[in-house]
Amino acid sequence: MNATAPRATILVVEDEPEIRRLLHTAFGVEGYRTVESATGRRGTIDAGTHKPDLAIVDLGLPDMEGIDVIRQLRQWSSMPIIVLSARVQEQTKVEALDAGADDYVTKPFGIGELLARVRAALRHAVRGVSGDTRIVLGTAVVDLERRTARRGDDEVRLTPIEYRLLAALAKHAGLVATHRQLLADVWGPTHETDTHYLRIYMKQLRDKLEAEPERPRYFLTEPGVGYRLRVDE
Amino acid sequence: MAPLRTLSGYAWAVAATAACTLAGLAMRDRFDIVNIAMVYLLAVVVVALRYPHGPAIATSVLSVLAFDYLFVPPHGTFTVDDVQYLLTFAIMLTVAVVISRLVERIRREAAAKADLAVEAETERIRSTLLASISHDLRTPLAVMAGASSSLAESGERLEPDERRALAASVFRQARAMADYVAKILQMTRLDAGAIVPSRDWNALPEIANATLDRLAERLARHRVIVELAPDLPLVRVDAALIDQALGNLVENAASHTPADTVIRVRARRVGDEAVVTVEDYGDGLAERDAERVFAKFQHGTGGARGPGLGLAICRAIVRLHDGRAWAERLPDGGTAFHFSLPIEAPPTMPPETAEA
Repeated sequence: MNATAPRATILVVEDEPEIRRLLHTAFGVEGYRTVESATGRRGTIDAGTHKPDLAIVDLGLPDMEGIDVIRQLRQWSSMPIIVLSARVQEQTKVEALDAGADDYVTKPFGIGELLARVRAALRHAVRGVSGDTRIVLGTAVVDLERRTARRGDDEVRLTPIEYRLLAALAKHAGLVATHRQLLADVWGPTHETDTHYLRIYMKQLRDKLEAEPERPRYFLTEPGVGYRLRVDE
Repeated sequence: MAPLRTLSGYAWAVAATAACTLAGLAMRDRFDIVNIAMVYLLAVVVVALRYPHGPAIATSVLSVLAFDYLFVPPHGTFTVDDVQYLLTFAIMLTVAVVISRLVERIRREAAAKADLAVEAETERIRSTLLASISHDLRTPLAVMAGASSSLAESGERLEPDERRALAASVFRQARAMADYVAKILQMTRLDAGAIVPSRDWNALPEIANATLDRLAERLARHRVIVELAPDLPLVRVDAALIDQALGNLVENAASHTPADTVIRVRARRVGDEAVVTVEDYGDGLAERDAERVFAKFQHGTGGARGPGLGLAICRAIVRLHDGRAWAERLPDGGTAFHFSLPIEAPPTMPPETAEA
Protein backbone atom coordinates (compact mmCIF):
# COMPACT_ATOMS: atom_id res chain seq x y z
CA MET A 1 0.00 0.00 0.00
CA ASN A 2 0.95 3.61 -0.15
CA ALA A 3 2.92 4.72 2.87
CA THR A 4 2.98 8.44 2.06
CA ALA A 5 -0.81 8.74 1.93
CA PRO A 6 -2.44 6.34 4.39
CA ARG A 7 -6.06 6.00 3.38
CA ALA A 8 -6.30 9.39 1.75
CA THR A 9 -9.84 10.19 0.64
CA ILE A 10 -10.39 11.08 -2.99
CA LEU A 11 -13.52 12.85 -4.19
CA VAL A 12 -14.47 11.85 -7.74
CA VAL A 13 -16.86 14.27 -9.48
CA GLU A 14 -17.77 12.46 -12.69
CA ASP A 15 -21.12 11.83 -14.38
CA GLU A 16 -20.17 8.61 -16.20
CA PRO A 17 -20.90 5.67 -13.84
CA GLU A 18 -18.46 3.38 -15.67
CA ILE A 19 -15.59 5.78 -15.11
CA ARG A 20 -16.57 6.27 -11.45
CA ARG A 21 -16.54 2.51 -10.97
CA LEU A 22 -13.18 2.23 -12.71
CA LEU A 23 -11.63 4.91 -10.49
CA HIS A 24 -13.22 3.43 -7.39
CA THR A 25 -11.61 0.06 -8.12
CA ALA A 26 -8.23 1.46 -9.09
CA PHE A 27 -8.04 3.77 -6.07
CA GLY A 28 -9.26 0.98 -3.77
CA VAL A 29 -6.36 -1.22 -4.84
CA GLU A 30 -3.95 1.58 -3.93
CA GLY A 31 -5.54 1.97 -0.49
CA TYR A 32 -7.41 5.21 -1.14
CA ARG A 33 -10.98 5.76 -0.03
CA THR A 34 -13.27 7.10 -2.76
CA VAL A 35 -16.26 9.42 -2.47
CA GLU A 36 -18.28 9.54 -5.70
CA SER A 37 -20.43 12.43 -6.92
CA ALA A 38 -22.36 12.19 -10.18
CA THR A 39 -23.01 15.92 -10.54
CA GLY A 40 -21.12 19.12 -9.92
CA ARG A 41 -23.63 20.34 -7.34
CA ARG A 42 -23.39 17.02 -5.46
CA GLY A 43 -19.60 17.27 -5.68
CA THR A 44 -19.44 20.65 -3.98
CA ILE A 45 -21.69 19.35 -1.18
CA ASP A 46 -19.75 16.08 -0.77
CA ALA A 47 -16.52 18.04 -0.58
CA GLY A 48 -17.92 19.87 2.45
CA THR A 49 -19.20 16.80 4.27
CA HIS A 50 -16.39 14.32 3.53
CA LYS A 51 -13.41 16.72 3.62
CA PRO A 52 -11.46 14.76 0.99
CA ASP A 53 -7.68 15.03 0.59
CA LEU A 54 -7.90 15.41 -3.16
CA ALA A 55 -10.60 15.98 -5.79
CA ILE A 56 -10.86 14.67 -9.33
CA VAL A 57 -13.24 16.78 -11.42
CA ASP A 58 -14.47 15.92 -14.89
CA LEU A 59 -14.65 19.00 -17.13
CA GLY A 60 -17.71 17.73 -19.02
CA LEU A 61 -20.35 17.58 -16.27
CA PRO A 62 -24.00 17.80 -17.26
CA ASP A 63 -25.30 20.17 -14.58
CA MET A 64 -22.58 22.78 -14.23
CA GLU A 65 -19.25 23.77 -15.71
CA GLY A 66 -16.32 21.88 -14.23
CA ILE A 67 -14.60 25.26 -13.89
CA ASP A 68 -17.36 26.52 -11.61
CA VAL A 69 -16.98 23.42 -9.45
CA ILE A 70 -13.27 24.23 -9.13
CA ARG A 71 -13.96 27.89 -8.29
CA GLN A 72 -16.47 26.90 -5.60
CA LEU A 73 -14.08 24.37 -4.06
CA ARG A 74 -11.23 26.88 -4.14
CA GLN A 75 -13.27 29.37 -2.10
CA TRP A 76 -12.66 27.35 1.03
CA SER A 77 -10.32 24.46 0.23
CA SER A 78 -6.70 24.17 -0.81
CA MET A 79 -6.86 20.43 -1.45
CA PRO A 80 -5.24 19.35 -4.74
CA ILE A 81 -7.65 19.22 -7.68
CA ILE A 82 -6.99 17.16 -10.80
CA VAL A 83 -9.21 17.67 -13.82
CA LEU A 84 -10.18 15.04 -16.37
CA SER A 85 -10.42 16.56 -19.82
CA ALA A 86 -11.15 15.31 -23.32
CA ARG A 87 -8.62 16.03 -26.03
CA VAL A 88 -10.77 18.70 -27.62
CA GLN A 89 -11.01 20.77 -24.42
CA GLU A 90 -7.55 22.34 -24.72
CA GLN A 91 -8.72 25.85 -23.82
CA THR A 92 -11.06 24.72 -21.04
CA LYS A 93 -8.20 22.79 -19.54
CA VAL A 94 -6.03 25.90 -19.29
CA GLU A 95 -8.95 27.86 -17.81
CA ALA A 96 -9.47 25.12 -15.23
CA LEU A 97 -5.80 25.27 -14.25
CA ASP A 98 -5.89 29.06 -14.05
CA ALA A 99 -9.03 28.75 -11.90
CA GLY A 100 -7.08 26.71 -9.35
CA ALA A 101 -6.88 23.11 -10.56
CA ASP A 102 -3.41 21.66 -9.98
CA ASP A 103 -3.07 19.20 -12.79
CA TYR A 104 -4.94 17.45 -15.57
CA VAL A 105 -5.24 14.03 -17.16
CA THR A 106 -6.52 13.69 -20.70
CA LYS A 107 -9.17 11.08 -21.44
CA PRO A 108 -8.63 8.30 -22.30
CA PHE A 109 -5.97 7.83 -19.66
CA GLY A 110 -4.01 4.92 -18.32
CA ILE A 111 -4.55 4.31 -14.61
CA GLY A 112 -0.78 4.40 -14.10
CA GLU A 113 -0.69 7.94 -15.41
CA LEU A 114 -3.60 9.04 -13.23
CA LEU A 115 -2.15 7.41 -10.10
CA ALA A 116 1.20 9.11 -10.72
CA ARG A 117 -0.59 12.47 -10.87
CA VAL A 118 -2.57 11.68 -7.72
CA ARG A 119 0.59 10.71 -5.82
CA ALA A 120 2.41 13.84 -6.99
CA ALA A 121 -0.54 16.02 -5.96
CA LEU A 122 -0.87 14.41 -2.52
CA ARG A 123 2.88 14.62 -1.92
CA HIS A 124 2.77 18.22 -2.97
CA ALA A 125 0.00 18.97 -0.47
CA VAL A 126 2.10 17.41 2.34
CA ARG A 127 5.30 19.16 1.33
CA GLY A 128 3.50 22.51 1.26
CA VAL A 129 3.23 22.21 5.05
CA SER A 130 6.79 21.03 5.68
CA GLY A 131 8.33 24.24 4.30
CA ASP A 132 11.39 22.62 2.73
CA THR A 133 13.02 25.25 0.53
CA ARG A 134 15.52 22.92 -1.15
CA ILE A 135 14.91 21.65 -4.67
CA VAL A 136 16.78 18.61 -5.93
CA LEU A 137 16.94 18.15 -9.69
CA GLY A 138 19.18 15.16 -10.30
CA THR A 139 22.70 16.34 -9.58
CA ALA A 140 21.59 19.97 -9.18
CA VAL A 141 20.49 21.32 -5.80
CA VAL A 142 18.96 24.75 -5.30
CA ASP A 143 18.21 26.33 -1.93
CA LEU A 144 15.56 28.94 -2.55
CA GLU A 145 15.86 30.54 0.88
CA ARG A 146 19.63 30.87 1.02
CA ARG A 147 19.76 31.56 -2.70
CA THR A 148 22.48 29.03 -3.43
CA ALA A 149 22.64 26.60 -6.33
CA ARG A 150 25.03 23.82 -7.26
CA ARG A 151 25.24 21.38 -10.11
CA GLY A 152 27.43 18.45 -9.16
CA ASP A 153 30.46 20.02 -7.53
CA ASP A 154 30.10 23.35 -9.31
CA GLU A 155 28.47 26.41 -7.91
CA VAL A 156 25.83 27.84 -10.23
CA ARG A 157 24.95 31.52 -10.25
CA LEU A 158 21.28 32.24 -10.81
CA THR A 159 19.90 35.73 -11.42
CA PRO A 160 17.14 37.10 -9.13
CA ILE A 161 14.49 36.46 -11.81
CA GLU A 162 15.75 32.91 -12.31
CA TYR A 163 15.36 32.32 -8.55
CA ARG A 164 11.86 33.78 -8.63
CA LEU A 165 10.89 31.63 -11.63
CA LEU A 166 12.29 28.53 -9.98
CA ALA A 167 10.36 29.33 -6.80
CA ALA A 168 7.18 29.83 -8.82
CA LEU A 169 7.70 26.44 -10.52
CA ALA A 170 8.49 24.81 -7.18
CA LYS A 171 5.16 26.02 -5.78
CA HIS A 172 3.64 23.55 -8.26
CA ALA A 173 6.42 20.94 -8.03
CA GLY A 174 5.40 17.79 -9.87
CA LEU A 175 2.27 19.56 -11.10
CA VAL A 176 1.47 21.93 -13.94
CA ALA A 177 2.05 25.66 -13.65
CA THR A 178 0.29 27.67 -16.36
CA HIS A 179 1.99 30.46 -18.30
CA ARG A 180 -0.32 32.97 -16.68
CA GLN A 181 0.45 31.78 -13.15
CA LEU A 182 4.20 31.85 -13.70
CA LEU A 183 4.19 35.24 -15.42
CA ALA A 184 2.00 36.76 -12.70
CA ASP A 185 4.20 35.27 -9.96
CA VAL A 186 7.52 36.36 -11.42
CA TRP A 187 6.86 39.49 -13.47
CA GLY A 188 3.54 40.64 -12.03
CA PRO A 189 -0.04 40.68 -13.32
CA THR A 190 0.69 43.26 -16.03
CA HIS A 191 2.93 40.74 -17.80
CA GLU A 192 0.49 37.81 -17.82
CA THR A 193 0.61 37.48 -21.61
CA ASP A 194 4.35 38.04 -22.16
CA THR A 195 4.95 34.35 -22.77
CA HIS A 196 8.25 35.02 -24.52
CA TYR A 197 9.78 36.03 -21.14
CA LEU A 198 9.13 32.47 -19.97
CA ARG A 199 10.65 30.91 -23.09
CA ILE A 200 13.87 32.84 -22.59
CA TYR A 201 14.20 32.28 -18.83
CA MET A 202 13.26 28.61 -18.98
CA LYS A 203 16.07 28.12 -21.47
CA GLN A 204 18.48 29.86 -19.08
CA LEU A 205 17.38 27.66 -16.16
CA ARG A 206 17.80 24.54 -18.28
CA ASP A 207 21.22 25.63 -19.50
CA LYS A 208 22.36 26.18 -15.90
CA LEU A 209 20.72 23.27 -14.09
CA GLU A 210 19.93 20.44 -16.51
CA ALA A 211 22.60 17.83 -17.24
CA GLU A 212 21.42 17.75 -20.88
CA PRO A 213 19.75 21.12 -21.52
CA GLU A 214 18.80 20.23 -25.09
CA ARG A 215 16.89 17.17 -23.86
CA PRO A 216 15.60 18.36 -20.46
CA ARG A 217 14.56 15.97 -17.72
CA TYR A 218 13.26 18.34 -15.04
CA PHE A 219 12.03 21.55 -16.69
CA LEU A 220 9.29 20.03 -18.82
CA THR A 221 7.08 21.84 -21.32
CA GLU A 222 3.32 21.33 -21.53
CA PRO A 223 2.62 22.73 -25.01
CA GLY A 224 -0.02 25.43 -24.95
CA VAL A 225 -0.50 25.07 -21.18
CA GLY A 226 2.64 25.85 -19.21
CA TYR A 227 5.50 24.03 -17.52
CA ARG A 228 5.98 21.16 -15.10
CA LEU A 229 8.91 20.92 -12.71
CA ARG A 230 9.53 17.22 -12.44
CA VAL A 231 10.39 15.77 -9.03
CA ASP A 232 11.90 12.32 -8.82
CA GLU A 233 9.63 9.86 -7.02
CA MET B 1 -38.65 27.05 -58.87
CA ALA B 2 -38.14 29.95 -56.53
CA PRO B 3 -41.28 32.12 -56.53
CA LEU B 4 -39.17 35.27 -56.39
CA ARG B 5 -37.39 34.26 -59.57
CA THR B 6 -40.69 33.56 -61.35
CA LEU B 7 -42.06 36.92 -60.20
CA SER B 8 -39.06 38.79 -61.52
CA GLY B 9 -39.46 36.76 -64.74
CA TYR B 10 -42.96 38.16 -65.25
CA ALA B 11 -41.70 41.65 -64.46
CA TRP B 12 -39.09 41.13 -67.15
CA ALA B 13 -41.78 39.91 -69.57
CA VAL B 14 -43.69 43.18 -69.11
CA ALA B 15 -40.55 45.32 -69.22
CA ALA B 16 -39.18 43.62 -72.33
CA THR B 17 -42.47 43.94 -74.16
CA ALA B 18 -42.71 47.60 -73.19
CA ALA B 19 -39.16 48.27 -74.36
CA CYS B 20 -39.83 46.55 -77.70
CA THR B 21 -43.01 48.52 -78.11
CA LEU B 22 -41.13 51.79 -77.61
CA ALA B 23 -38.46 50.65 -80.04
CA GLY B 24 -41.13 49.56 -82.51
CA LEU B 25 -42.91 52.92 -82.27
CA ALA B 26 -39.62 54.67 -83.01
CA MET B 27 -38.96 52.37 -85.97
CA ARG B 28 -42.46 52.47 -87.35
CA ASP B 29 -41.90 55.11 -90.07
CA ARG B 30 -38.68 53.76 -91.52
CA PHE B 31 -38.89 49.97 -91.05
CA ASP B 32 -41.09 47.28 -92.40
CA ILE B 33 -43.59 45.82 -89.99
CA VAL B 34 -41.86 42.44 -90.32
CA ASN B 35 -38.70 43.84 -88.77
CA ILE B 36 -40.70 45.20 -85.87
CA ALA B 37 -41.98 41.68 -85.32
CA MET B 38 -38.34 40.57 -85.22
CA VAL B 39 -37.66 43.03 -82.39
CA TYR B 40 -40.47 41.43 -80.38
CA LEU B 41 -39.02 38.04 -81.19
CA LEU B 42 -35.73 39.19 -79.71
CA ALA B 43 -37.51 40.06 -76.46
CA VAL B 44 -39.06 36.60 -76.37
CA VAL B 45 -35.66 34.97 -76.91
CA VAL B 46 -33.98 37.03 -74.18
CA VAL B 47 -36.66 36.28 -71.59
CA ALA B 48 -36.78 32.60 -72.57
CA LEU B 49 -33.02 32.32 -72.10
CA ARG B 50 -33.12 33.71 -68.57
CA TYR B 51 -36.46 32.52 -67.18
CA PRO B 52 -38.67 29.42 -67.17
CA HIS B 53 -41.32 29.00 -69.83
CA GLY B 54 -44.04 30.86 -67.89
CA PRO B 55 -42.52 34.32 -68.29
CA ALA B 56 -41.35 33.38 -71.82
CA ILE B 57 -44.89 32.52 -72.91
CA ALA B 58 -46.16 35.66 -71.20
CA THR B 59 -43.67 37.68 -73.21
CA SER B 60 -44.79 36.15 -76.46
CA VAL B 61 -48.48 36.70 -75.68
CA LEU B 62 -47.87 40.30 -74.57
CA SER B 63 -45.71 40.90 -77.61
CA VAL B 64 -48.29 39.55 -80.03
CA LEU B 65 -51.02 41.62 -78.38
CA ALA B 66 -48.95 44.81 -78.46
CA PHE B 67 -47.78 44.11 -81.98
CA ASP B 68 -51.28 43.42 -83.14
CA TYR B 69 -52.84 46.42 -81.39
CA LEU B 70 -50.28 49.02 -82.40
CA PHE B 71 -48.68 47.87 -85.60
CA VAL B 72 -50.99 45.53 -87.48
CA PRO B 73 -53.70 47.29 -89.49
CA PRO B 74 -56.33 48.17 -88.53
CA HIS B 75 -54.37 50.02 -85.80
CA GLY B 76 -55.87 50.39 -82.34
CA THR B 77 -57.80 47.10 -82.47
CA PHE B 78 -57.08 43.45 -81.87
CA THR B 79 -58.68 42.50 -85.14
CA VAL B 80 -56.38 40.67 -87.48
CA ASP B 81 -56.95 41.30 -91.16
CA ASP B 82 -54.30 39.16 -92.56
CA VAL B 83 -53.99 35.52 -91.64
CA GLN B 84 -50.20 35.75 -91.87
CA TYR B 85 -50.09 37.54 -88.48
CA LEU B 86 -51.56 34.44 -86.92
CA LEU B 87 -48.45 32.70 -88.20
CA THR B 88 -46.27 35.39 -86.54
CA PHE B 89 -48.11 34.72 -83.31
CA ALA B 90 -47.64 30.94 -83.62
CA ILE B 91 -43.92 31.31 -84.35
CA MET B 92 -43.33 33.63 -81.40
CA LEU B 93 -45.10 31.24 -79.05
CA THR B 94 -43.14 28.26 -80.38
CA VAL B 95 -39.80 30.08 -80.08
CA ALA B 96 -40.64 31.06 -76.49
CA VAL B 97 -41.52 27.52 -75.46
CA VAL B 98 -38.68 25.78 -77.34
CA ILE B 99 -35.94 28.07 -76.03
CA SER B 100 -37.09 28.10 -72.43
CA ARG B 101 -37.45 24.32 -72.46
CA LEU B 102 -33.96 23.89 -73.93
CA VAL B 103 -32.38 26.24 -71.43
CA GLU B 104 -34.18 24.56 -68.55
CA ARG B 105 -32.97 21.15 -69.62
CA ILE B 106 -29.35 22.34 -69.97
CA ARG B 107 -29.56 23.96 -66.55
CA ARG B 108 -30.94 20.78 -64.96
CA GLU B 109 -28.26 18.61 -66.57
CA ALA B 110 -25.44 20.90 -65.39
CA ALA B 111 -26.79 20.84 -61.84
CA ALA B 112 -27.14 17.08 -61.93
CA LYS B 113 -23.58 16.73 -63.18
CA ALA B 114 -22.24 18.93 -60.34
CA ASP B 115 -24.28 16.96 -57.80
CA LEU B 116 -22.90 13.77 -59.25
CA ALA B 117 -19.29 14.96 -58.88
CA VAL B 118 -19.83 15.98 -55.24
CA GLU B 119 -21.63 12.71 -54.61
CA ALA B 120 -18.78 10.71 -56.14
CA GLU B 121 -16.19 12.44 -53.94
CA THR B 122 -18.35 12.03 -50.83
CA GLU B 123 -18.88 8.42 -51.79
CA ARG B 124 -15.13 7.88 -52.21
CA ILE B 125 -14.38 9.34 -48.77
CA ARG B 126 -17.28 7.44 -47.23
CA SER B 127 -16.15 4.14 -48.66
CA THR B 128 -12.48 4.66 -47.70
CA LEU B 129 -13.62 5.69 -44.24
CA LEU B 130 -15.83 2.63 -43.95
CA ALA B 131 -13.10 0.34 -45.25
CA SER B 132 -10.66 1.94 -42.83
CA ILE B 133 -13.10 1.66 -39.93
CA SER B 134 -13.81 -1.96 -40.64
CA HIS B 135 -10.12 -2.73 -40.96
CA ASP B 136 -8.74 -0.58 -38.18
CA LEU B 137 -11.53 -0.71 -35.62
CA ARG B 138 -12.95 -4.18 -36.03
CA THR B 139 -9.69 -5.95 -35.29
CA PRO B 140 -8.92 -4.08 -32.06
CA LEU B 141 -12.56 -4.37 -31.01
CA ALA B 142 -12.42 -8.12 -31.56
CA VAL B 143 -9.21 -8.34 -29.53
CA MET B 144 -10.68 -6.21 -26.75
CA ALA B 145 -13.94 -8.12 -26.61
CA GLY B 146 -12.13 -11.45 -26.63
CA ALA B 147 -9.48 -10.55 -24.09
CA SER B 148 -11.79 -8.75 -21.68
CA SER B 149 -14.46 -11.46 -21.81
CA SER B 150 -11.96 -14.16 -21.02
CA LEU B 151 -10.72 -12.03 -18.11
CA ALA B 152 -14.27 -11.47 -16.89
CA GLU B 153 -15.45 -15.07 -17.29
CA SER B 154 -12.43 -17.16 -16.46
CA GLY B 155 -9.88 -14.75 -15.03
CA GLU B 156 -9.34 -16.84 -11.89
CA ARG B 157 -8.30 -19.87 -13.95
CA LEU B 158 -5.63 -17.93 -15.84
CA GLU B 159 -2.00 -17.61 -14.79
CA PRO B 160 -1.11 -14.12 -13.52
CA ASP B 161 1.17 -13.65 -16.55
CA GLU B 162 -1.65 -14.53 -18.92
CA ARG B 163 -4.03 -12.21 -17.13
CA ARG B 164 -1.56 -9.37 -17.36
CA ALA B 165 -0.91 -10.01 -21.04
CA LEU B 166 -4.64 -10.01 -21.85
CA ALA B 167 -5.27 -6.85 -19.88
CA ALA B 168 -2.26 -5.17 -21.46
CA SER B 169 -3.51 -5.96 -24.94
CA VAL B 170 -6.94 -4.50 -24.13
CA PHE B 171 -5.21 -1.33 -22.96
CA ARG B 172 -2.95 -1.15 -26.02
CA GLN B 173 -5.83 -1.63 -28.45
CA ALA B 174 -8.02 0.88 -26.61
CA ARG B 175 -5.24 3.46 -26.77
CA ALA B 176 -4.81 2.86 -30.49
CA MET B 177 -8.55 3.20 -31.05
CA ALA B 178 -8.76 6.39 -29.02
CA ASP B 179 -5.93 7.80 -31.09
CA TYR B 180 -7.66 6.70 -34.27
CA VAL B 181 -10.94 8.35 -33.33
CA ALA B 182 -9.13 11.52 -32.23
CA LYS B 183 -7.41 11.74 -35.62
CA ILE B 184 -10.67 11.36 -37.53
CA LEU B 185 -12.30 14.04 -35.37
CA GLN B 186 -9.32 16.35 -35.74
CA MET B 187 -9.30 15.98 -39.55
CA THR B 188 -13.03 16.70 -39.65
CA ARG B 189 -12.60 19.82 -37.54
CA LEU B 190 -9.67 21.00 -39.66
CA ASP B 191 -11.68 20.39 -42.85
CA ALA B 192 -14.61 22.33 -41.44
CA GLY B 193 -12.36 25.27 -40.57
CA ALA B 194 -13.40 24.82 -36.94
CA ILE B 195 -9.85 25.15 -35.63
CA VAL B 196 -8.47 28.61 -35.04
CA PRO B 197 -4.85 28.44 -33.88
CA SER B 198 -4.25 30.37 -30.68
CA ARG B 199 -0.81 31.65 -31.54
CA ASP B 200 1.77 32.67 -29.00
CA TRP B 201 5.54 32.93 -28.83
CA ASN B 202 7.04 29.47 -28.53
CA ALA B 203 10.44 27.82 -28.63
CA LEU B 204 10.43 24.96 -31.14
CA PRO B 205 12.92 22.90 -29.09
CA GLU B 206 10.51 22.99 -26.14
CA ILE B 207 7.64 21.73 -28.29
CA ALA B 208 9.84 19.07 -29.91
CA ASN B 209 11.00 17.77 -26.53
CA ALA B 210 7.41 17.64 -25.26
CA THR B 211 6.41 15.71 -28.40
CA LEU B 212 9.25 13.23 -27.98
CA ASP B 213 8.46 12.75 -24.26
CA ARG B 214 4.80 12.19 -25.10
CA LEU B 215 5.68 9.57 -27.71
CA ALA B 216 8.53 7.96 -25.75
CA GLU B 217 6.72 4.63 -25.65
CA ARG B 218 6.09 4.59 -29.41
CA LEU B 219 9.74 5.41 -30.02
CA ALA B 220 11.21 2.92 -27.57
CA ARG B 221 12.30 0.56 -30.34
CA HIS B 222 13.99 3.21 -32.46
CA ARG B 223 17.18 5.19 -31.99
CA VAL B 224 16.11 8.82 -31.80
CA ILE B 225 18.65 11.54 -32.57
CA VAL B 226 17.66 15.10 -31.75
CA GLU B 227 19.35 18.08 -33.42
CA LEU B 228 17.77 21.38 -32.39
CA ALA B 229 19.67 24.46 -33.51
CA PRO B 230 20.43 26.60 -30.43
CA ASP B 231 20.10 29.86 -32.38
CA LEU B 232 16.56 29.13 -33.51
CA PRO B 233 14.40 32.20 -32.82
CA LEU B 234 10.99 31.99 -31.14
CA VAL B 235 8.07 31.35 -33.48
CA ARG B 236 4.50 32.55 -33.07
CA VAL B 237 2.50 29.31 -33.22
CA ASP B 238 -0.19 27.31 -31.47
CA ALA B 239 2.06 24.98 -29.48
CA ALA B 240 -0.53 22.25 -28.98
CA LEU B 241 -1.19 22.09 -32.74
CA ILE B 242 2.50 22.08 -33.68
CA ASP B 243 3.02 19.35 -31.08
CA GLN B 244 0.38 17.34 -32.97
CA ALA B 245 1.88 18.08 -36.39
CA LEU B 246 5.36 17.01 -35.31
CA GLY B 247 3.97 14.05 -33.36
CA ASN B 248 2.22 12.78 -36.49
CA LEU B 249 5.48 12.94 -38.46
CA VAL B 250 7.33 11.10 -35.70
CA GLU B 251 4.62 8.44 -35.37
CA ASN B 252 4.63 8.04 -39.14
CA ALA B 253 8.38 7.47 -39.14
CA ALA B 254 8.17 5.01 -36.25
CA SER B 255 5.42 2.95 -37.86
CA HIS B 256 7.03 2.74 -41.31
CA THR B 257 10.56 1.76 -40.35
CA PRO B 258 11.99 -1.35 -38.73
CA ALA B 259 13.09 -1.43 -35.09
CA ASP B 260 16.60 -0.20 -34.24
CA THR B 261 16.72 2.18 -37.18
CA VAL B 262 17.46 5.86 -36.60
CA ILE B 263 14.83 8.58 -36.49
CA ARG B 264 16.38 12.03 -36.62
CA VAL B 265 14.40 15.06 -35.46
CA ARG B 266 15.89 18.37 -36.53
CA ALA B 267 14.90 22.02 -36.25
CA ARG B 268 16.89 24.80 -37.83
CA ARG B 269 16.60 28.19 -39.44
CA VAL B 270 16.57 28.41 -43.23
CA GLY B 271 16.26 32.02 -44.41
CA ASP B 272 13.01 33.48 -43.07
CA GLU B 273 11.67 30.15 -41.98
CA ALA B 274 12.12 27.66 -39.21
CA VAL B 275 12.26 24.19 -40.73
CA VAL B 276 11.43 21.09 -38.70
CA THR B 277 12.48 17.77 -40.20
CA VAL B 278 11.87 14.15 -39.29
CA GLU B 279 14.19 11.78 -41.13
CA ASP B 280 13.83 8.04 -41.11
CA TYR B 281 15.95 5.29 -42.59
CA GLY B 282 13.34 2.90 -43.89
CA ASP B 283 12.95 1.85 -47.50
CA GLY B 284 12.45 5.40 -48.58
CA LEU B 285 9.56 6.99 -50.31
CA ALA B 286 9.11 6.57 -54.06
CA GLU B 287 9.55 10.00 -55.68
CA ARG B 288 6.06 9.87 -57.16
CA ASP B 289 4.56 9.30 -53.69
CA ALA B 290 6.14 12.40 -52.15
CA GLU B 291 2.97 14.42 -52.68
CA ARG B 292 0.45 11.58 -52.50
CA VAL B 293 1.33 10.66 -48.90
CA PHE B 294 -0.17 13.94 -47.67
CA ALA B 295 -3.63 13.03 -49.03
CA LYS B 296 -6.32 11.79 -46.68
CA PHE B 297 -6.73 8.06 -46.04
CA GLN B 298 -3.43 7.37 -47.71
CA HIS B 299 -1.49 4.39 -46.45
CA GLY B 300 2.15 3.76 -47.17
CA THR B 301 3.44 0.40 -48.24
CA GLY B 302 4.45 -0.60 -44.71
CA GLY B 303 0.98 -1.91 -43.94
CA ALA B 304 0.76 0.59 -41.11
CA ARG B 305 -2.36 0.86 -38.98
CA GLY B 306 -4.42 3.93 -38.37
CA PRO B 307 -6.69 5.98 -40.57
CA GLY B 308 -3.90 7.32 -42.78
CA LEU B 309 -4.66 10.85 -41.68
CA GLY B 310 -1.50 11.77 -39.78
CA LEU B 311 0.30 13.50 -42.61
CA ALA B 312 -2.88 15.17 -43.91
CA ILE B 313 -3.49 16.59 -40.42
CA CYS B 314 0.14 17.71 -40.20
CA ARG B 315 -0.13 19.58 -43.49
CA ALA B 316 -3.48 21.17 -42.57
CA ILE B 317 -2.07 22.40 -39.24
CA VAL B 318 1.09 23.78 -40.83
CA ARG B 319 -0.96 25.58 -43.50
CA LEU B 320 -3.02 27.22 -40.74
CA HIS B 321 0.30 28.72 -39.67
CA ASP B 322 1.20 29.91 -43.20
CA GLY B 323 3.82 27.20 -43.46
CA ARG B 324 4.47 24.32 -45.86
CA ALA B 325 4.80 20.56 -45.38
CA TRP B 326 6.59 18.32 -47.86
CA ALA B 327 8.48 15.05 -48.17
CA GLU B 328 11.57 13.98 -50.06
CA ARG B 329 13.52 10.82 -50.63
CA LEU B 330 16.97 10.96 -49.05
CA PRO B 331 19.93 10.20 -51.36
CA ASP B 332 21.09 7.27 -49.21
CA GLY B 333 17.61 5.79 -48.80
CA GLY B 334 15.10 6.80 -46.19
CA THR B 335 12.70 9.70 -46.20
CA ALA B 336 12.72 13.25 -44.85
CA PHE B 337 9.45 14.90 -43.87
CA HIS B 338 9.73 18.65 -43.43
CA PHE B 339 7.51 21.47 -42.34
CA SER B 340 8.34 25.13 -42.29
CA LEU B 341 7.00 27.97 -40.17
CA PRO B 342 7.50 31.66 -40.91
CA ILE B 343 9.85 33.56 -38.60
CA GLU B 344 8.57 36.95 -37.51
CA ALA B 345 10.36 39.79 -35.77
CA PRO B 346 10.84 38.54 -32.21
CA PRO B 347 9.30 40.47 -29.31
CA THR B 348 11.56 42.42 -27.00
CA MET B 349 12.25 41.87 -23.34
CA PRO B 350 13.79 44.37 -20.94
CA PRO B 351 17.26 43.29 -19.72
CA GLU B 352 17.24 41.88 -16.22
CA THR B 353 19.62 44.44 -14.70
CA ALA B 354 16.98 47.11 -15.32
CA GLU B 355 14.29 45.01 -13.70
CA ALA B 356 15.84 43.13 -10.80
